Amino acid sequence: MKNIIHKYLYTAFLVIVFSSCKKYLNEIPNNSLDASNAITDVGTARAAIIGAYDAVQGYYASNYPTLGTITADNVIFNGTLSQYLQLDQNAIPADNVTTVATYQGIYKAINSANSIIAALPSVKDVRLTDAERNQITGEAYFIRALGYFDLGRGWGGVQLQLQPTSDLSVLKGIKRSTLDQTYDQVLSDLIKAEQLLPDDATTRNRAQKSIVRALRARLHLYRKQWADAENYATQVISNSKYALVTPYRNFFTNPFLTTESVFELSFSANDRNTFWNLWYPSSFGGQYTLKPSNPFVAKVSNPLIGGSRSALIAGTGNNVYGVLYNTTTTGVDPSYIIRIAELYLIRAEARAQQNNLTGAVADLDVVRRRAGLTGSTALTQSDILLAIEDERSIEFAFEPHRWFDLVRTERAGDVLGLTDKRRWLFPIPLSDVLSDPDVVQNPGY
Amino acid sequence: MYIHISKLLLSLSLIVSIQVSAQKIIGGKVFDDKGNPLAGALIKITKSGQKQNIITANDGSFTLITESDSVNAIISYTGYSESNVTLFQKKINTIELQKTDKVLDDVIVTGYSVQNKRFVAGSITTVKASEVKDIPAPGINQLLQGKAAGVQVTANSGVAGGGITFRIRGNNSINASVDPLYIVDGVFINSNNLVNTGLGNQQQSNPLADLNPSDIETIQILKDANATAIYGSLGANGVVLITTKRGKLNSKARIQFNTYQAWSTPTNKFRVATGPETALLTNESRINTAIDNGLPPSSATLIPNPDQQPTFFRTDDLFRTAKTSNYDISVQGGTDKSTYFLAFGYFNQQSIVKPTDFNRYSLRFNYDNYLSKNLKLGNSINISRTFRNVSSNDNNPQGVINSALFPRSYLPVFNTDGTYARYGSFDNHLALIDNLNNKAESWRTIGNIYLEYSFLPELKLKSSWSVDNTSVYENNYSNTLTAAGLANNGSASSSESKSIILTNEQVLTYIKTFGESRKHAINALIGNTINTVLNQNTSASGTGFASNDLTAVSVASIRTGSSSRSIAKLISFFGKASYTYDNKYTFDASLRADASSRFGINKRWGYFPSGGFTWRAGQESFIQQLNIFNELKFRVSVGTSGNQNGIGSYAALGLWNSGNNYLDLPGNAPTQLANPDLTWETTRQTDVGVEFSVLNNRLTAIIDYYNKYTYDLLLNVPVPYRSGFASYLQNFGAVSNKGVELTLKFVNLETKSFSWSSDFNISYNKNRIEKLASDISLGASGRNISILREGFPVNSFQLYKQLYVDPNTGNAVYEDVNGDGIITAADRQIVGDALPKFTGGLTNNFRYKGFDLGVFVYFQQGNKIMNMNDFFLVHGNTQANIGFLPRQLNRWQQKGDITDIPRLTTYSGNPSANNSPANNYGGNVANLSSRYLEDGSFIRLRTITLGYNIPTELVTKWKLSGVRAYIQATNLFTITKYNGLDPEVNSQSNNQNTTGYDWATVPQPKTIQVGVNVNF
Repeated sequence: MKNIIHKYLYTAFLVIVFSSCKKYLNEIPNNSLDASNAITDVGTARAAIIGAYDAVQGYYASNYPTLGTITADNVIFNGTLSQYLQLDQNAIPADNVTTVATYQGIYKAINSANSIIAALPSVKDVRLTDAERNQITGEAYFIRALGYFDLGRGWGGVQLQLQPTSDLSVLKGIKRSTLDQTYDQVLSDLIKAEQLLPDDATTRNRAQKSIVRALRARLHLYRKQWADAENYATQVISNSKYALVTPYRNFFTNPFLTTESVFELSFSANDRNTFWNLWYPSSFGGQYTLKPSNPFVAKVSNPLIGGSRSALIAGTGNNVYGVLYNTTTTGVDPSYIIRIAELYLIRAEARAQQNNLTGAVADLDVVRRRAGLTGSTALTQSDILLAIEDERSIEFAFEPHRWFDLVRTERAGDVLGLTDKRRWLFPIPLSDVLSDPDVVQNPGY
Repeated sequence: MYIHISKLLLSLSLIVSIQVSAQKIIGGKVFDDKGNPLAGALIKITKSGQKQNIITANDGSFTLITESDSVNAIISYTGYSESNVTLFQKKINTIELQKTDKVLDDVIVTGYSVQNKRFVAGSITTVKASEVKDIPAPGINQLLQGKAAGVQVTANSGVAGGGITFRIRGNNSINASVDPLYIVDGVFINSNNLVNTGLGNQQQSNPLADLNPSDIETIQILKDANATAIYGSLGANGVVLITTKRGKLNSKARIQFNTYQAWSTPTNKFRVATGPETALLTNESRINTAIDNGLPPSSATLIPNPDQQPTFFRTDDLFRTAKTSNYDISVQGGTDKSTYFLAFGYFNQQSIVKPTDFNRYSLRFNYDNYLSKNLKLGNSINISRTFRNVSSNDNNPQGVINSALFPRSYLPVFNTDGTYARYGSFDNHLALIDNLNNKAESWRTIGNIYLEYSFLPELKLKSSWSVDNTSVYENNYSNTLTAAGLANNGSASSSESKSIILTNEQVLTYIKTFGESRKHAINALIGNTINTVLNQNTSASGTGFASNDLTAVSVASIRTGSSSRSIAKLISFFGKASYTYDNKYTFDASLRADASSRFGINKRWGYFPSGGFTWRAGQESFIQQLNIFNELKFRVSVGTSGNQNGIGSYAALGLWNSGNNYLDLPGNAPTQLANPDLTWETTRQTDVGVEFSVLNNRLTAIIDYYNKYTYDLLLNVPVPYRSGFASYLQNFGAVSNKGVELTLKFVNLETKSFSWSSDFNISYNKNRIEKLASDISLGASGRNISILREGFPVNSFQLYKQLYVDPNTGNAVYEDVNGDGIITAADRQIVGDALPKFTGGLTNNFRYKGFDLGVFVYFQQGNKIMNMNDFFLVHGNTQANIGFLPRQLNRWQQKGDITDIPRLTTYSGNPSANNSPANNYGGNVANLSSRYLEDGSFIRLRTITLGYNIPTELVTKWKLSGVRAYIQATNLFTITKYNGLDPEVNSQSNNQNTTGYDWATVPQPKTIQVGVNVNF
């Protein structure tokens, strides 16, 4: 009997010790949610879509604009970090920091979007109205579309990851798609987004129907689907919410979110964009890694070419620097993703390609006149296309266009002397090539 | 009442007896074997009926009153053998006590217990603090350099109080910590840097610098599994047990005062190309580039009049003669029931590069009290306060050294209007030196209270409660005269970081010797610990100030704040037993069970066993008959220990981090994949050792071979980025370390007036990654030249290997590893690593009468250094804003030139072609070639010290008991092939996998110091 009591007491002691150990050892953080509770109600659903925008900010704040500019002829390397030298020289190793970070950042945004698309239908919360549920889902589709579009134009057809990564097994067996398949996915997401998103309000920094249409116009332009490009560009241009601002510098001068802006990502004092730091010389507190090239400075300073767009640069002599991103004290420069000027130039190009030359020049001249220039004198189709290319080069000098334009029009060889077409795509990150049996590196890397 | 009466009677009878018997006085003096007086020696009079204990005075003297002409006495003093003597009246009795055999007879502190070193099966190195005292560096870990076999110590820079690389038997891990566990008087202390201010990529501080080395008595370094398994999941990287000084029972108060003053200068200074040289090289590169682009040379824009260019040597402004001062005063002693040690220290050290410095105030109080015969209570408390002025260097282009070293030397330091001039990405070095304001103050309290109860003489229970509380308060202000504050009208940050480690432990110890002629000895213990580690940080920052005199975040126009908090808990049970038979054979075994809150719910517990065997062959008669060995001992041990440090507190959980905000709305995003199976990293280690002493203990040798295999590495395994994650922490991979250690101690000469002894140690370690999911490359600000690859050591360098510069074209030719005829990223190869093969030290101590001379040489061999200064300053003009090193002048200029510096050009066409100008400095090879990798081996005269003990007669006259004055030189000369400033450097030390870079870092100083030690 005594023995039994002893045994009982002993067992009880052990149970208490070990169960309290277990409890004692359960520690949870105070700044994160467990993945299983990440999207369960209206609050976490809202926070998830905000987190997805934050991921888009993550790659658009400095990396994507860098990839689209220093690789071409308007911007040169002037710093110390080899990753920028490599981009400037178009000798990009597969572990180049900027290309790797951008690729990783885009998929991070896509994973957030995938998580929302997968989780939102099952969120049971009366406070989540159908309208809001549709809006959040539509925004997620838009963000995924933007992500795959930005991957496609930089890296070619990529692996289409459409499920959230709950564990690593969902990754197995997904091979690279063709560029057409990637763009098809973008289109399909944009169609869903357009259905789900609300009609336009005054918003310019979160997805709305017009923003989806604008991206769709650009997608069709990249796919040389001229009629669709023209159609969607027209839909956006005809929205009275948008108008070119005069003078040119107004759209990049605080306060932002001007009528020029179709879609921009806003920053704030608590969520800073320090991209200016890469453009400004150290005498203004910057790193001066990205510098306007001498030929560009000559062009943009020429009143017949640059016009009021000379406001993009400041400084003199050997110390000319770009000032598109200029809020050095506050760091609130937006990331400019789509401006209405682009829609005019998309339509101009689409019209020119469809031999509507007058229509093309008319759209081109809208952008030129805003810059204080006279109308274009180009007459033939090829002259007009070249004039549009040159206009885009100046108009979007420090936004991620020039490189992608020269690649999509296959002019990178002629303009940049980059005849090796394999260099027109960025390399798939080296660590992916090493760790992912399903990926194939782009040729030439 | 009754008691009072009896006491009264007793005293009366005493008085009577004293009055009756004739009083006789016996006097004398106690000395040590070198003739120094021993204060506090205990004299026990053993004559029957008379029990009297007397303690010697400061000069070693004593007097006692007896009734007879002579008495028998036992004279004892800790660390000396007891002496049985008869003391006579009418003469001055001089007694000399012999030091006990130091080397093989010490009692040493091992995990949770004290053992006789003779029987220990583990590999443990003991360093007495007196061997490393007075080296002008603040951290005890730094002082161990070259003093202990199997321990590699490198100061990462010459920054006072800056980071130290400390490895016991190699790097065991990749993502988890590779630092040892530090235990001070039983307290598990924090050894992670808490300073937040970014200083480039260098570890900001050495947390061990919070301890005053003068307070330390001994340091024990536990190296093999037998010694460390008892620390279970904390022990895999070795354990450093630090024991501080305590008073001795029955000893008089002894006051000690030490001070030194030191002056440091750089071992070497930077040297850059002059203005005319820089202009010449620039123009040559521009002409060559034009030619390469198929343009006429005349199309190049040149710097006019290159010969007329001025030269501004900025780097000379960086250095100063830096001052170091140290003062410490201590008092220690004890009664028959209690002991005490109280010490106060002040240390102040400037760095040789402005404006960095370090200050420390430290206070220690150690106290033990026998509350009763069976119950002992004690504490150790250390309170210290440090102040650091820190500055950024290394890979930060706006660091002090960068801003002086890299700008082109023909460019003036000031604009014509007298303002600071800045170029490219760099700040103005004088603006930084004059205006940097980055202060870090740290409060550190390490405290321990224990109770020890003896149930029986052989059975004791000890319960101890410890805390290590570190808080670092940082205030930084970048005013508008520095680049960092220029754009935003001044920027300030303020943060408080805290690390609290709480430990409670109970240990029940049983030590017993029994049997016929005490043939059996048992030393056993069981215990448990509960350990909590709390880290938290709150910070605020602001920009926009009305004036440079206003530096508080509270008055900034834009303010932001942040905070973080993490807790990790550990529960452990452990036991250890050793059995010795006949003083010859010892078997021991230990087991520890640990559970950590960091790990997955499925695999929280880890079990770490070890076993060892010691054979004291020297005790066998057939060995004794050889008459060679005074001691001969073989040890073998095997066991496992674990590692969990260095990974996050919540590493096993699947997490969505909050704070991913947009439009000032709260945002959440997936950040970490769950791994419920995450568990311990385990190190299995085998150690075989032999220890012997010969020639009448004149030569003692310790030789160890070890083989460590660490598996289930806590590895951030890279996962495809399309997952939305970069890596997944899992137990994957293995690393091995194999090595040999040799320690020799010689007593070369030993006479009354002259002695010469030598200590030598050398260690060899071979590290290899045995298993890895895929290559991981990192380092050098995205240049990814450090690589982890299966089959190679950690800290390997992956580079394009330059074979030669073609004498015909002047272009660099690289090894085409895959033989495809072109140069691509695939042609990078591992060309060396940053781990030394051999490290060691040689200490020689001479003593002649009152003089002592110590010469300590440290060496390491076989490591490579990536000279990033060289890389940036020998760039062929690809870096438009950076000047040149004179080495760039050795470039190829014309057909037939034989050199390793290729032709100057910035041409970028066709970067895949070998022997193409594109790859001379840029192109595919822009991420570094072997041209900049150098041998980092060196031998250094670490210290040379000449001391003089002022003669006793003089000292006694001053009412002191000992005075030593000395002069010492540190780093007086260094033999090395390395071309950078100093081969002891580790610029990218914030990541253990990017060792071996030299990048705009403060070099090691050369120091002259004078000091004095006074015993009152």
